[in-house]
This record gives sequence, structure tokens and C-alpha cells, in this order.
Amino acid sequence: MPTAARTYWLTSPCRIRRKDESLVIEREAAPKVHIPITDVRDIIACAETDINTAVVSLLNRHRISVHLLSYYGDYAGSLVTSDTSTSGQTVLAQANLAQQPSASMAIARSLVDACAFNVRRVVDRQLLTAPYTTLQASIKEAETPLHLMGAEGTFRRSAWEVIDTKLPDWLQLHGRSRRPPRNAGNAFISYVNGIIYARVLSAVRLTPLHSGIAFLHSSLERQRHSLVLDLAEMFKPLFAERLLLRMASRKQLKKHHFDTGTNQAMLSEAGRKLVVQTVRDELATSVNHRSLGRPVAYDELIYLDALALTRHCLEGTRYKPFRIWW
Amino acid sequence: MYVIVVYDTAAKRNPKILRTCRKYLHHVQRSVFEGQLTEAQLRRFQATVEEVLDLTYDNVLVYTFPPGTTPIRHEWGATEPTPTDVL
Repeated sequence: MPTAARTYWLTSPCRIRRKDESLVIEREAAPKVHIPITDVRDIIACAETDINTAVVSLLNRHRISVHLLSYYGDYAGSLVTSDTSTSGQTVLAQANLAQQPSASMAIARSLVDACAFNVRRVVDRQLLTAPYTTLQASIKEAETPLHLMGAEGTFRRSAWEVIDTKLPDWLQLHGRSRRPPRNAGNAFISYVNGIIYARVLSAVRLTPLHSGIAFLHSSLERQRHSLVLDLAEMFKPLFAERLLLRMASRKQLKKHHFDTGTNQAMLSEAGRKLVVQTVRDELATSVNHRSLGRPVAYDELIYLDALALTRHCLEGTRYKPFRIWW
Repeated sequence: MYVIVVYDTAAKRNPKILRTCRKYLHHVQRSVFEGQLTEAQLRRFQATVEEVLDLTYDNVLVYTFPPGTTPIRHEWGATEPTPTDVL
């Protein structure tokens, strides 16, 4: 990953323009800002964004992707640059692996296990021990990815209930709801999940893997990047659940950070900015990596995980999905 | 590495150097730019600057800081906003 370039986050409605072979962000409320094109790694647009052909061709030349989040905060789509890093050999190996039921189920099992492990680690180790053991048993018995997802759903439901006990009344989830999220807590989770999805997509596109061929989710269905859904699974608890619990206990989240209507909620503009800043800082947090022997930012962990999967496809090194080890 | 660029050029060449700088760095004052660059980007920047300027008359100063460090910045008065990645 290039170290000098940064991710840019757009939190207020704006128009991206091209000027002098570089970018200008025009906003309604604030003055326009010139951004040096060489400083941009990718752009995450969390608010209405206008973009035109001139900008897209410039972005494409500099290999910059734009990820767009919708009005409600779910992932709306991406403007991705033309493929540069995919290699035929890797994609074929990946497809080959995905077609062998035993090999792909082994990966799917480890993905679900790692995801649940991370959820338990961030939410509550004690209270989730029993559901986790049940899950591990049903993972062993599961024969298709569908069974696996069912088992995961059951585990997740118990986890959501435990999370509710740790949140103030107005932030409680009362079960996960999406499109649109029913209440403030769900709006927060959806929003962070959308951002993480975008980050994982960026990371996967740096590796030679094909983002559509997956192991747990069904491949290339409904034009989704299924592999990204697979990999995002383990990283969602590290950000969404963990930050929700942390920001609630620190009382950083206030009622004015959400626009709540009847039976639906979304983040307000102030809330959006706060969440984006928190996630950005969290992505830059680093931990000491055991085998690399150097500090690694959370953002890079995502990339390393995608690389490990590449190695699994090509060289057969066993892929161990990301687990929170600290 | 963190870089601060200051230039003093003839008025007719000002737009050229301004455009070049905007591609690489954040505009912080009329003729002052700063930001993170890699070694390669800095070399490319230098090559472009040499092309667009008349170095017998114009002057460009580049301050670089050791990798991993950023200078501490104090601001007074009405200034351009600090470069940020959350807009």
C-alpha cells in the first residue's frame, strides 16, 4: 500500500471537479478546497456527490477508486478503476478452489468461526461462551454455506441481545434491521459496516484476487462483490460493534447525532462527521504484528488478510482468517 | 516525507508553478505549499519545476523533514484552513 497517499472522506454534499490536472472539492456551506491528486489513495463519499467524466478519467489515470454511501448510509456503489492487479493465474486458482466443495467449505467454516470469535471478543467473552460453543458444533455439522449462515445468524442474535444490555435505552438495537435501519443503534452499525465494506473492497483490489468469487457468500450474485462480503465479515465487529459500545460508554454519541423518524433512523450531518472521524482514527491505530514483528495499522490488517487468501489460492499455505489477537 | 515548498517567481510564471504545486501539495498560503511526498514524487516534482521555471531568475525553496516526522505548526491570523482528509 502506498504510504504517502491518504483516504479522503467527504461528509458534506459536494461536487468533485477537475482543475489543473488535480482535484477541487466544491461545497455549499464551506469554501472550495484544492486536493493534490498525488495525495489521494481513494475517496469515500458519505454524502451526495456530483462527479463528471473529466474527473473520472483523471481518477482512473491515478488508480483512485471512489466509494459511495447512500442517503441512509448503506453502501451504494463504487467507481472503481479498470482492473490492473488481477492476474489470470490467481483468478483461475481462486475459481478452482471455490468450485471444490470440500476446499471452499473449509474456508467458509473458518470465516464464520473467526467472525464469531471476534464478535465474542469485542462484546462479552463470558456471556457469549455458550452460544459460541453451540456455533462451533453447528459449524462442524454444516454441509452447505447456507447452513453456516443460518448458524451464524443464531449466534449473532444472541450477540445483539447482549449488546443491548450494555447500551443506553435510546441506542438499543432491538434486533438488527436494515434498509432502512429502524433505530439509532442500527443506523450506526449500518453506517460503519458500509465504510468497512468500502475499505475491504479497496484492499481486495490491491491483490490479484477477483472480488466476485467468494467462498461463504454466493459468487457473483446480484452484482455484489461477494468476496468482499466474505472478508468484511471478520472486520465488522472490530469496528462497528466495538466502536458502538465504546462511543456509547464514553457518552460521545448524542441524540442530535441521529435523525430519527417513525420506524427509521439515520445519522445526521454532525453524526456522520463524528463517526467518519472516529473510524478514520481507528483505521490508523496500529498493533504489533507477531509474525511481521512490526506495528501494523488496522487498515493494513485488512490488506494482509486479503494477501493471505491470495497465498492460499496460489501456494496452498493454509489461510487463517483474521482474529483479534490482542 | 513531509515537505514545505516556498517559491518566489516572476509574475508571469506564477500560474505555472501554482498549477504544478497543486498537483502534489496542499496550498497553505499564497506561495507556500506543504504535504506528504515520497522520494519519487519529490523528484518528479523537481523535474516539472525545472521545466516550467526560469531558474536564472526564479527561486524555489524546499524544506524536507525526516520520514515519520511532521513539523509542529502554529498559526496566527486569518489563514487558509489546515489541510485535512475529512471534508
